[in-house]
Amino acid sequence: MQLTQSMTIMEKLHILSDAAKYDVACTSSGVDRGGNGKSMGNCLAPGVCHTFSADGRCISLLKILFTNECIFNCSYCLNNCGQDVKRASFTPEEVCSLTMEFYRRNYIEGLFLSSGILISPNYTMDLIYQTLYRLRHVHHFNGYIHVKAIPGSDPVLVEKTGFLADRMSINLELPTSESLRTLAPCKSRSTILRPMRQIQNGIAASSREQLELHDWLVRREGGLSASPDTSGGFGTGTLPGGDPGVFPAATGKDDIPDTIPVSGSSAPIRPVGSWQSRPRFVPAGQSTQMIIGATPENDYQIMSVAEGLYQNFKLKRVFYSAFVNVTGSSSLPALPGGPPLLREHRLYQADWLLRYYHFQVSELLSEDRPDFNIFLDPKCDWALRHLECFPVEINRADYKTLLRVPGIGYKSAERIVKARRGGRLAFADLKKIGVVLKRALYFITCSGRQMYPTRLDEDYICRNLMADNTQIPREVRESGFTQLNLFDLGMVAPSQSQAARIITGFSSGISQAGGV
Amino acid sequence: MSLHVLICENSIDGILSGIYRAYESRYGHSSIELTTADRLDTYNLFCEYEEVPVDIQKVQKVSRTLLREFGQEGFRTLCEAMSAWESPRDCQKEMSKANAVYKTVALGLARKEGARVLNYLGESYVNRVFQLSRSTYCESHHLLGFLRFAELENGVLFSQVHPKNYVLPLLADHFCDRLPQENFIIYDDTHKTAAFHKAGASYLLAEVPEADRKFMERYSAKEKEYRALWLEFFRSIAIEARKNPKLQSGNMPKRFWPDILEMAP
Ligand code: SF4
Repeated sequence: MQLTQSMTIMEKLHILSDAAKYDVACTSSGVDRGGNGKSMGNCLAPGVCHTFSADGRCISLLKILFTNECIFNCSYCLNNCGQDVKRASFTPEEVCSLTMEFYRRNYIEGLFLSSGILISPNYTMDLIYQTLYRLRHVHHFNGYIHVKAIPGSDPVLVEKTGFLADRMSINLELPTSESLRTLAPCKSRSTILRPMRQIQNGIAASSREQLELHDWLVRREGGLSASPDTSGGFGTGTLPGGDPGVFPAATGKDDIPDTIPVSGSSAPIRPVGSWQSRPRFVPAGQSTQMIIGATPENDYQIMSVAEGLYQNFKLKRVFYSAFVNVTGSSSLPALPGGPPLLREHRLYQADWLLRYYHFQVSELLSEDRPDFNIFLDPKCDWALRHLECFPVEINRADYKTLLRVPGIGYKSAERIVKARRGGRLAFADLKKIGVVLKRALYFITCSGRQMYPTRLDEDYICRNLMADNTQIPREVRESGFTQLNLFDLGMVAPSQSQAARIITGFSSGISQAGGV
Repeated sequence: MSLHVLICENSIDGILSGIYRAYESRYGHSSIELTTADRLDTYNLFCEYEEVPVDIQKVQKVSRTLLREFGQEGFRTLCEAMSAWESPRDCQKEMSKANAVYKTVALGLARKEGARVLNYLGESYVNRVFQLSRSTYCESHHLLGFLRFAELENGVLFSQVHPKNYVLPLLADHFCDRLPQENFIIYDDTHKTAAFHKAGASYLLAEVPEADRKFMERYSAKEKEYRALWLEFFRSIAIEARKNPKLQSGNMPKRFWPDILEMAP
C-alpha cells in the first residue's frame, strides 16, 4: 500500500486500465436519461461510442479496475494472487476526478468500474459503493455507470450500489460449474448466480414500482409534490422477503446447471440521500460475460447457457470473450493461433439471432451438431438446412418470416413491413432499404418473381454464399486469422457444402485441442 | 405545360420558403420542381426558373403545418434531410434534396397520413429523404462521441469539428443538455459556424468566417495533464493480441481523425 500511495495517477491509470481491458462490455446503452439543467451528464438509450482502440473495439466508458490487488486465484487472470505483477489501487476521489474530467471533455460516456478483490469481497464492494456514492452525490454525476458486483459480497452492498448504477454485471466467467471449479476455485456458481438473481429481482421490483408510480400520477393528474413512496432509508441488514407470486423466477426447467434456489427480494432497499429524487435500480439492466476457448465446452453448451440467462435471469446482454492466454498457466490452452476470434464472432451472431430474430438455440445447434459452421453465418446455415421454408414473398410475408431470410436484418424487415403499406416493393427498392441482395436473392420473391432465375438447391446456394467474402468477417480476415489455414491443409472437397460440414466437425476438435 | 423550377437557398429556411411558394403558386405539384441554387449548373430551355427568397414568416407557417401533420419525430426527419450535404455525385445522379422533401411533404399532406408516408420507401423521393436524413443522423451520432473538448485558459471548453452535413444544431442541443453548467464553444469549420453556450443558458449560433487559431490552442494547465492521461488510457486499453487497424478505421472513419485527440497526427 505504501507503494500505491507514492504512485502517480498516470501510473495507476496505466496499470488499472491495462488490467481491465479483457472485460469486453463497454456499451453505454439501455437507458435514456435527459440532463437536469444542474449537474453534468445525460444518457442515450442506443449508447454512444467515443473512440475505437487499436483492436477495433468501441470505447464508450472509462473502463478501469478499482484495484488489481486480488486474494483470489483464477488461473486465466493476470491479477490473480500468484502473479508477480505491479499492483495499484485508486482512491474513490481519484476515480471521481478522472471520470468527471474525461466526461467534460467528451472522451467518455461514463464509468465502467470493476475490481480485483482487496482484503475481502465485502471490503472491495464497499469501496466500489463509496466511489459511486461520491460520484453521484458529491460530484453530481448524471452520466452512465456500469459496475461489477463482486461475487461473494453482502447482498445489502449490492443493493445499495444498484441504486447508484445504470448497469450491473457479474461475470459468469466459464460456461459450466466444472470449468469454474478448475480454473476459478475461489468462485462458485452460487456466488455468481445469487447476486445475479438478486439484481434481476431488484430490477423487476423497481420497474413495477415505476409503473405503480406512473399509474398513481395519472390518477392524481400530474401531482408530483406528494410522493407515494413509503420505503424508508437504508437500515436493515437483511432483505425483505420475496414475493414469488409476482416475480416467478426460474421455476421448472432451468437451462443453467446448478442453479441456486430463488432467494431474492422484491422490494430493494433505497440508500439514504438519493442522487435522484426517485432513483431506479439498475435501469439499464444486467449483463454478463463468458470466456470462450479456455475450457472444452462446445458452442451448443455455451449458447444453451446464454439462452438460459436471457430467459431465466432476464439479462440484457451476454458477452463472449475469446480467450487470450496471458498467464501462461499450464492448466490453460496455449492457442498458438491467437484468440479464437471467428468462434467468438459466430457466437455473437447467434446471440443476435436469439435476441432480435426469435431463434432458439435448439434450431441452430444440437447434440449431434454442437458447433457452428465456420464458413457460414448461423442464419445462412439454418436457412440452407430449411429450404422448405423458402422462397418468401416480400410483399406478403409477415415480420417474423422476413426475419428468417439471410440478408434481411431486423431493421430492414421492419422497413419492408411499413413500406409496403404505401405500395408494392420491387428488388431495386429492397436494395435501397438495406437488404443485402446478394445473400437474400436465393430466398425471396417480389410479386412472385425471383430477382433472376436460381435453383433452390443446397449445394448451389452454399457455393454462392461462400464466394461472398463477408461470410468470414473483416475483423477476422484482417487480423492474421489462423483458423483459415484449414484451407491450406488442402481440404477442398467435391462439394463445398460438404467441405463446410467436414471442417465444422473439425472446428470443435481444434478449439478443444489445446484444452486441459 | 412547362415545368416550374423553384430555386431555393440551401438551408432549412430556404427549402421551407420554397415549399411555401410551391403551394402558393398553384401551378400544381406535378409541374413544380424544387432545387437549391448551388446544384444548378445547366438550365433547361423548357423550364421556367424562379428564385425564391427566404421569408421567415413563411418558414414559420410551413413549420407549424409540418409539425402538426408530421409530428415532432417526422418533422425532425425532414429537417435532417434538409440539413444533409449532397455530394457532387449525388448532384448528378440523385434528385435534389429540396425536391425530395417537397414531394414527400406533398404526399403526406395529400394522403393525410403525415409521418406514415416517411415509411413508404418504395416511392423514390421518400426513399431519398430517408437516405439523406440517415446520413445526417449517422454523422451527428458519430460526432456525439468523436467530438473532443479542450479546456482553454479561461475555463471555456472548445471544440472544432468538420462535418459534411449541417449537424451543428443537433450537436449543440445534445451538449446543452449534457453540460448545462459549462461554458462551451463548438466550431463547425466546414460551415464556418459556431455554437456558443453560456453556463445555465441556451445556446447561440453565429457565423464565424475566420477563426482565431491561436485562441483555440491556449490550453489551461490542467488540460495538458488530462490529455496525457487520456492518451495513456487509450493506449493501454487495447488488446495487443487482437490488434486490427482496419477494423478500427472501419468503425471510426479516417475523415474524423484530425479532430479526435487520440487519433490526430
Ligand atoms: S477475482 Fe479472479 S478474475 Fe477477478 S481479479 Fe481476482 S483473480 Fe482476476
